[in-house]
Amino acid sequence: MNSSLGIRHIVQFVVFVALQILLMDSLVLFGTGFSFIYIAFLLFLPINMNRVLLLFLGFIAGFAVDIFYDTMGIHAAASVLLAYLRPMILNLLTPRDGYDTNDSVNIHVMGWRWFLAYALTLILAHHTAVFLLEIFSLEGLSAAVPKILLSVLFTGVVMVILQLLFFSLKRANR
Amino acid sequence: MRNLFAFIYRFRAFLIFVLLEALCIFLIVRYNTYQGAAMFNSANTYVGRVLEFQSGVTDYFRLASVNSTLAQENAVLRQQLMYYRQEADADSTDQLDTTYYAVSDSSKSEPFILHAGRVINNSVRRTNNYLTLAAGSLDGVKPGMGVISPNGAVGRVKTVSRHYATVTSLLHSQMLISAKIKKNNTFGTIKWTGGDYRTALLDYIPLHIKPEIGDTVVTSGYNTVFPEGIMVGTISEVERELDKSFYTIRVKLAVDFAQLSYVYVVENPRRPEQDSLEHEAGILPHE
Repeated sequence: MNSSLGIRHIVQFVVFVALQILLMDSLVLFGTGFSFIYIAFLLFLPINMNRVLLLFLGFIAGFAVDIFYDTMGIHAAASVLLAYLRPMILNLLTPRDGYDTNDSVNIHVMGWRWFLAYALTLILAHHTAVFLLEIFSLEGLSAAVPKILLSVLFTGVVMVILQLLFFSLKRANR
Repeated sequence: MRNLFAFIYRFRAFLIFVLLEALCIFLIVRYNTYQGAAMFNSANTYVGRVLEFQSGVTDYFRLASVNSTLAQENAVLRQQLMYYRQEADADSTDQLDTTYYAVSDSSKSEPFILHAGRVINNSVRRTNNYLTLAAGSLDGVKPGMGVISPNGAVGRVKTVSRHYATVTSLLHSQMLISAKIKKNNTFGTIKWTGGDYRTALLDYIPLHIKPEIGDTVVTSGYNTVFPEGIMVGTISEVERELDKSFYTIRVKLAVDFAQLSYVYVVENPRRPEQDSLEHEAGILPHE
């Protein structure tokens, strides 16, 4: 697992954005729980990635979703925020001996606790940004809080499922 | 100077972060407003194609309900047609006297033109909801036109490309529709405040009116977007708050926005004339 951007990540970008637009768009729990699964692309990128490149990738991913959602700029802003926070969270969560060269964002390699702490923090930041920018005022704040919490939970669960399904231990060791 | 470059290089990530966020905020402010037209949106040709493909798949699962709505609409239209035909048969004034000429009401002479469009993208659960139609400028759709469904008012066209159109749904936090209570012609404004997509608010109904639960609310026709008398919904709750000089009225919307499949874009041939007249007279267009 190196730090360069491979064909794998391009495929992941297409798959996650397509999943977001075609499937997750119509999948809303109780009218409050949204799943913004396209950020999985940003979360699953290599650990020691170029920070500047990461920011631009965040912008591109968010912008792609924005076009389909007719929410010009909202998802892009939230994704750029996520991309900016990601290296910091990774720094905070550094294991005692630092990251190994073959470490990647993988639930089997890094363990449950690391993955959940990493993913949920960043998802929370992203979703808070999305919903606050959407209402664009502090008026609907009370309505946004349950939306944010349920959505973070929903996206988190979907992300864990994605990890368990498609990021097997075997592939991680390769 | 070198120090400056070194400084910029050291904080390049932060600076680019700030730059991109500023760009995003600019996009949000510039294009997310109700009137603002965006260059990139779901009316874009390529985006429209993807959405059309998606709706091509999902539409199969709704064929039954689409068919039944169309059949119902057909039934209503046939009924109306029969009514007019009977009336025309019974009415023979024009044949009575060849010297008498009945002046018809000029406002009725120019009908609204309807363009049918298939809904290929729809949302009801966001704060600001939009529809995408597979009907664009080639079909005669222009920005600003009203959109109705067989059941009632739906929204207003925001942007148009050659084959697709983006519609601001009534379920948009900044969408206002001039409406009236059919019973006594009191007019107010329909506004959606988020949450449940089945109910909206009817504002500015003064306190001396007695609105009742079950009263029908229709479009007022005071603006050029919708024809008069298009169904909006029925009053489901009337509340009188002490500190307000208007009622708080909840309206159950007639259109089930989650089930929209075919809609009509309303073209008002006299719209430019009315708009320019009102503009000349200094009246701001009210939504």
